[in-house]
Formats: sequence, C-alpha cells, structure tokens
Amino acid sequence: MSVFDGLKFRRVYSPIHNLDPRIKFIYVLAIFVIAIIFWELIPLIVLFIIQIPFVVLAGVKREWLRSMRGGAFLASIIFVTNFVVAYFAGRGLAESLENAIALTLRFIVLIESFSIFFLTTSPDHLGLALEQTGMPYEFCFAFTTAVRFVPVLAEEAQTIMDAQKARGLELERGNFLKRIRNYIPILIPLIVSAIRRSLELAEAMESRAWGATKKRTNLYVLKIHKNDFFLIVITIGILATAIFIRLYVPIPSLNQLLKGIF
Amino acid sequence: MPVIETKNLTYTYPGGTKPSISDVSIKIKKGEFALITGPSGCGKTTLCRCFNGLIPHFYQGELKGEIKVTGLNILENPIYEMAKHVGLVFQNPENQLFALSVEKDVAFGLENLGVPREEIRKRVNWTLNLTGIYDLRERAPHELSGGQQQRVAIASILAMQPEVMVLDEPTSFLDPLSAKKIFKVIYELNKKLGITVVLVEHRLDLTARYADHIIVMDDGKVVLDGEPREILSSEEARLIGIGIPKATRLYHILKKDGVKLSNTVPLSSDEMANLLKEALKVHD
Ligand SMILES: Nc1ncnc2c1ncn2[C@@H]1O[C@H](COP(=O)(O)OP(=O)(O)O)[C@@H](O)[C@H]1O
Ligand SMILES: [Mg+2]
Repeated sequence: MSVFDGLKFRRVYSPIHNLDPRIKFIYVLAIFVIAIIFWELIPLIVLFIIQIPFVVLAGVKREWLRSMRGGAFLASIIFVTNFVVAYFAGRGLAESLENAIALTLRFIVLIESFSIFFLTTSPDHLGLALEQTGMPYEFCFAFTTAVRFVPVLAEEAQTIMDAQKARGLELERGNFLKRIRNYIPILIPLIVSAIRRSLELAEAMESRAWGATKKRTNLYVLKIHKNDFFLIVITIGILATAIFIRLYVPIPSLNQLLKGIF
Repeated sequence: MPVIETKNLTYTYPGGTKPSISDVSIKIKKGEFALITGPSGCGKTTLCRCFNGLIPHFYQGELKGEIKVTGLNILENPIYEMAKHVGLVFQNPENQLFALSVEKDVAFGLENLGVPREEIRKRVNWTLNLTGIYDLRERAPHELSGGQQQRVAIASILAMQPEVMVLDEPTSFLDPLSAKKIFKVIYELNKKLGITVVLVEHRLDLTARYADHIIVMDDGKVVLDGEPREILSSEEARLIGIGIPKATRLYHILKKDGVKLSNTVPLSSDEMANLLKEALKVHD
C-alpha cells in the first residue's frame, strides 16, 4: 500500500490550503520560470529559502521532506553528471563544483514548488479549478472520480494479492521476466472487477440525471480571497525582482564572493 | 392512479436467449411501501432497471409490454428526466459514490440538473440532517463504513426529491445491525415524507413489518402479489423458498397444533410476542 500512500491527500486546514489553486499554480509557474532563467548558485539558494515559509505555514513539513527525499536519487545523478562533465571540460574544481550544485539546486527548487502545490491542494479543489478554467466537465469528473477510486483499487489489489498468495502464487520468484509474469493472476481479476465497477458507476450516474443539462451547476465555487491577492502581489514582486536582477545586476559566483571577503 | 404500473412487461437483454422478466403486470400505489422478493436470478434487479428507464435506454435489448412510472412512459422519456421522479439505490454502496466528499456526492444529482447553488446547499443540508449523516459531510467515501456509505447513497437520491424510491437489496453488503438502521431510515422516509418505496429484499424478518404490499417473483415472473400477511402465510411462498419471517412461521405451526391465537398473522417478533402474551392471559 505504501506506494499509494503518497496519493492520499491529507485534509488539513491552513492558510495555504485555503488559497485558490489557480493562483497557487501561477505562483508555481513563476518559480519555475525564475529557476530556469538563473544558473548561478546564489539566486537559486535564495529561491529555495523563500519557499520554506510556505511549507511551515501549511504544516506539511513531514510530507514535504518525504517528497524531497523521493527526488534525492535523481538530484544526485544530476549533480554527478554535471560535475564530471564540467571538470573534464577543463573548468577548475571549485567552479565545476559550484556549477553542479547550482544545477542540482535548480532541480530541487522545481520539485519543492510542485510538491508544495500538490500537498496543499485537495483533489476536489483541483477538479474545481480545472472546471472553472474552462476544462470540459467530463474531464474534471473523470479526474476526481479516478482519485476517489485510488484507495478502493489499492485495497482490492491487496485483497487479490493475498488471495492468490494463499493459493500458492509466489510473487518474488524467478528472473525479471518471470516476476513480471507472476503479476498476471493479479492483474486479470483486478481489470475484470474494474470493468464491472465502471458499469455499475455508469448506471448510478445515469440514475442521478447525468447529462440532463449543458448548464451544470456546482455546489462549490472558487472565490478570490484577501490571501489570494496577497499571493498574487508576492508572485508579481518575486517575478519582477528576478527579471530586474537578471537584466541589470551582474551576479557574482560564490567563489568570487568568498575570494573577495578573504 | 398507480405510481408504477406495468402491463405484460417482458424484457430480454441484448444477446440473451430467453427473457429475464416475462409478462410482469403489477401496480404500486402512491405512498405504498412495496416489497419485492424472490430467489436470486429471478429478475428483481432487471425489473428495477425498468422503473427509471435504465432498461431499455442504457441496456438496450428488447422491451415489450407497457410501463408507466409516475404517469410517464419510460420509452418516451430519457433517463435523466425519469431521475427527477424515480430514484434508484443499488446493491453495492461503494460503486454509487463518485465524489471526494459526502456532501459533494449528495449534491451530484442536483448539480446535473442545473439547480441554482443556494438551492442545492439548502437541499443538501436538509437531506444530510434527515438521514443522520450531517457530521460526516466532509468525509471521503473510503473513510466511511458500508452502512454509512449506503446512507450517503440514499441521501444522494433523496436530495433529488423523487416521488418513488427504488432500493435494490441495499443491505446485502451490510451487517444485520447496519441493515436494520437502513430499513428504519427507509421506513421513516416513507411515513414522514410520503415517498413511495419499492424495496427489493431477502431479509423479510426485518422488513415484512413495514410493507403494505409484497410481490414475489420466480424465474422472471410475478407469482404472488398482494397483502403481506396473506402472502407470507401461503403455501406457495414457502415452496418457492423465500425467507418467511420466523414469527410468521411459528404462528402457523402453533396454530396448526391447535394453540388458540388471534387471527392477525404476525410479521415480526414483537408482534408475535404480543400475540403470545395475549393468548397466555386468556388461559390464566
Ligand atoms: N447485464 C446483464 N446482461 C445480461 N443478462 C443479465 C444482466 N443482468 C442480469 N442478467 C440475467 O437476467 C436474469 C435476472 O437477473 P437479475 O435481474 O439480476 O436477478 P436478481 O436481481 O433477482 O437476482 C439472470 O438470468 C441474469 O443472468
Ligand atoms: Mg439483483
């Protein structure tokens, strides 16, 4: 089940969770853009740090750390490749090191902002945001219903696995190909049951007037609150500053800075 | 005018060789609590699907005979039109909930109908209170027990304020205690709001007491149709093998053995207990 745990959104109330997902998404995009336009270490460090208050305010430190750890492997690959390539291209040790750290940090900033978004946005809100940005309703419905059935299917997969194991199926036996084949007796019942489930769902949807009108209403509506304006201002502020610095301020490397001090 | 009326209704699923229901002619009156029972595979679910037009609109196949529900001809009205008048609650509660929270699920039907938001909010709260799940309104379906899920399913139909509610074995996935509670909820909707109830059920021990009308099916046909006390006392009912309430069986066994009991056939243990107390008093 542990694989699916990350997909279970934990319902928490915090100022960050209550923000409009559309605005939050614009914020994430802005951070994304800034992370791309800088390749120097110092601004990327700043970018990393200014997002930490969001994590603290949202109260999702544990989940956030877990998702960061999830990215650690890729981050280390990025670090090693960049370092090796730069070093053998004849740049100095210190410079290669700084360059590799900067590019790794850029990756980490991207994960950081995306995980803040997904950890603090309920799937319900996300579906609603999709709907209100003009996505066809069928698509949004498919999205939220898929999320709703993740825990159900995960539980079912576990049950089928236990049942097949009880009949002598050995999952961790044999070479790579054999192991994949071992999963067929689990996949087939799972698929059959999913199909039956989807038929029953369709029946229940029809019985609740699915498709009665093109002008569907929604119980919830996203409204921009004071905090959302606040986030817009912050986003514009950060973006404007970043672009200004990029265009007009020469950024020293950490190496130069350290040399200057000593 | 009956709320549900069928005449010689016969239906074959696409690709089916023989009809799943044949020659079904029934009438269910307004405000009635009707119970449909019969062995597995006898066509109860198939009949329910006809009540809101899932058959033939969703299932296709061949439908013969006449069927009118709340005065509307099923063939001439799409399912979403029928859904305003007839609500269907299915067997498996898990597969009738789509949303990520209870209140969103209860709102689903009204949203589809394009009811204004304030009105939806009002009706959702009303329904949640009526079915006793107001405190669960923000929970996700997978955080609920089967009994709670089935309550949500009932609430989500109730919110659309149908005239008829059809429930197809709503408790077969539930334990006896949850089942009992669900039946209570259904009975109250019938008595307090005057909603016509059609309940498909095997557990007559728990439900016969509420019924005004029992329909027994076997092999796609209606074999018995009438007043519960009469039907459940009949020899035919026993032979078909429907779950006659133990109190009713006991009454007939005692009566046959010559015990003097009053003439009202009991349908529940409570009624039987009262009957026995009375009989014992006479003997004193
Ligand atoms: N979707 C379907 N497609 C084809 N045949 C079906 C379908 N559903 C039920 N049947 C058949 O119709 C008959 C009656 O089934 P059903 O109405 O489900 O009975 P019950 O609900 O009383 O157990 C059975 O023989 C069954 O095999
Ligand atoms: Mg059935």
